[in-house]
Amino acid sequence: MNSETELVELCIHAACKNRETVNKWRLQRRSLDRLPSPLADALLRRLITRRLLYPSLLEVFKHSAEEIDVKGDNSVDAEWMAYLGAFRHLRYLNIAECHRITSSSLWPITGMNSLKELDLSRCTKVNDAGINHILSVPNLEKLRISKTSVTANGVMLLASLKNLSLLDLGGLPVDDAALASLQVLKNLQHIELWDSKISNEGAAVLNTFPKLTHLNLDWTSVSKLPNLSSLECLNMSNCTIDSILRDDKAPLTKLIFSGSTFLNEGETLLYANTNFLSFLDLAHTGLDKFFFLSKMKVIEHLNLSSCMMGDDSVEMVACIGGKLKSLNLSGTWISSAGLGILAGHVPNLEILSVSQTSVDDTAFSFISMMPSLKVVDLSNTNIKGFLHQGRTDLDSLSLTALQDLKQLERLNLEHTQVIDEALFPLSRFQELRYLSLKSPSLADISLYHLSSVPKLTKLSIGDAVLTNYALDMFKAPDTLKLMDLRGCWLLTKDAIVSFCRNHPQIEIRHELVTLLPFEENGRHHSSPSRLTSRTMQAARKKEQMSLSPYFVDQRMKYSRDELLALQFLSLPLASSNEIDNSILEKQSD
Amino acid sequence: MKKEDTVKLISSDGFEFVVDKEAAMVSQTIRNMLTSPGSFAERQHGEVTFPEISTTILEKICQYFYWHLEFASGKDREFPIEPELTLELMMAANYLHT
Repeated sequence: MNSETELVELCIHAACKNRETVNKWRLQRRSLDRLPSPLADALLRRLITRRLLYPSLLEVFKHSAEEIDVKGDNSVDAEWMAYLGAFRHLRYLNIAECHRITSSSLWPITGMNSLKELDLSRCTKVNDAGINHILSVPNLEKLRISKTSVTANGVMLLASLKNLSLLDLGGLPVDDAALASLQVLKNLQHIELWDSKISNEGAAVLNTFPKLTHLNLDWTSVSKLPNLSSLECLNMSNCTIDSILRDDKAPLTKLIFSGSTFLNEGETLLYANTNFLSFLDLAHTGLDKFFFLSKMKVIEHLNLSSCMMGDDSVEMVACIGGKLKSLNLSGTWISSAGLGILAGHVPNLEILSVSQTSVDDTAFSFISMMPSLKVVDLSNTNIKGFLHQGRTDLDSLSLTALQDLKQLERLNLEHTQVIDEALFPLSRFQELRYLSLKSPSLADISLYHLSSVPKLTKLSIGDAVLTNYALDMFKAPDTLKLMDLRGCWLLTKDAIVSFCRNHPQIEIRHELVTLLPFEENGRHHSSPSRLTSRTMQAARKKEQMSLSPYFVDQRMKYSRDELLALQFLSLPLASSNEIDNSILEKQSD
Repeated sequence: MKKEDTVKLISSDGFEFVVDKEAAMVSQTIRNMLTSPGSFAERQHGEVTFPEISTTILEKICQYFYWHLEFASGKDREFPIEPELTLELMMAANYLHT
């Protein structure tokens, strides 16, 4: 969708700078009515992200827009819906998490012939009465009503929407009878029934949906499935699995069983057709035999986290490693020797996690033989950063081996035994963008080593013994956007404040820094003269918002800079007191 | 300026803008008109008429062509767009694929 050309993008940017610029074009009716829908949709999207959209402005798009996504916008209410009801070409409407939407506010969408896709997920005030309005949207193909207040009776009514291909009923009290009444929906391809009251009896009718390709039964009591010959994606996380997928015809591509219990161990997976499987999640299943893996020749994503896989069964993974892109072995019994078995068999592996394993520094030489790695998670391992070299007394820096990984972007070394000196090789990691460290044995010198990592964007260095002096002396890479210093208890507020002032482009996270925006004394804050038009407009927006009965947590709505700037406006409504109030109100929701 | 190196862009109200071919080719649509084989009249006469684009907008488009050539790499200077023109300019840019 984001295929706008460069000049179109510049125009949208210019049009959505602030409320004044919007007023300059909003009365150009003739142009607005001629606007091709992709442009109208792009313009609307920007207005929404810039929080410039209000109900009466919606109206100017009624002849052009095809897609509206205001997910999570708390200002969306019956008035918005009244305008949206007049949209002649609206095909996609997403009002998920709009908490002011009620059943009656859905009335305007009745009879909208153009509407094909509607998302009402988590609109908690929508109940069976709302379903009655939806029933008169004749061409609806995709409907999401998960976590609303619709009951099994309301779900039964949906049987009259004959064109439905996707139905998300997650978190609703859908029972076996309700599901059975939906059997007339022969076009259904995708059914979400997570956290519903479906039992094995209800699941038995799932084979009457001839086109069913996607099925989600997460958190249900279903343990048996009938033959579903067109099934491609199945999510049965947190279930007890007895007999499923016995039909070897289903062209499965994605299976998620995380947190489930297999009554017959891995046999289920042996009989299923896994020749096309590209995604398999078996995290926390406690499986200890992996013979079924051998058939999965095209698998790309494999999650065996917390399974009982040891070095002796790693061979199974190595055999099917040719196309693997991501592999999660965290919390398994694997050791460095196991990684040695994998090395050389996973040429395309991009993401590897061996966190919470007994892996130590000898693993680095094996990891460096996985040439496509971009993300490596070594947290909670026995990594020290030093490797004892043969008979000499000299230890070598083991991280040096990772310099061979030319694409390494993300490295997690939290809760390892790595100390300052061991980090020296990191300065030569050309592509490293995200680095996570957490250890009380790290001190000032670490920060010094990290200042020369050329593309570092996010640095997390928790629990370290960093001094104010080190922070003051830190030459931050130009690319650095975020520094997470939580748990660095030696740092004082003044030192952090001074660092923020000197590096306005870097966001700091620290126990002391969250308090800063609400401080009375704002000597370190950006000066009022630097207020951008966006901030001004945020301030105006705030004025409006404070009149509304529903508060959004102000910290989420504005960036830190905007909040800082708000203080200087000294509007009666923008006092820090009110910010605190609104937070309280949010919490009491 | 040699005639072969330029192209004439004509607005809906008949105004003619003579611009470098290189600049006009910033628009993928114009590039296709001028380079595609076949007997496009545009290619033979070096003239393109836009019955849908007004003079004001076409002038802005031509400015953009040159701005694009000059700042394509760095983009350190902003291309100014009056808010009143955004809708029409957006549609023209969309049509011209630029």
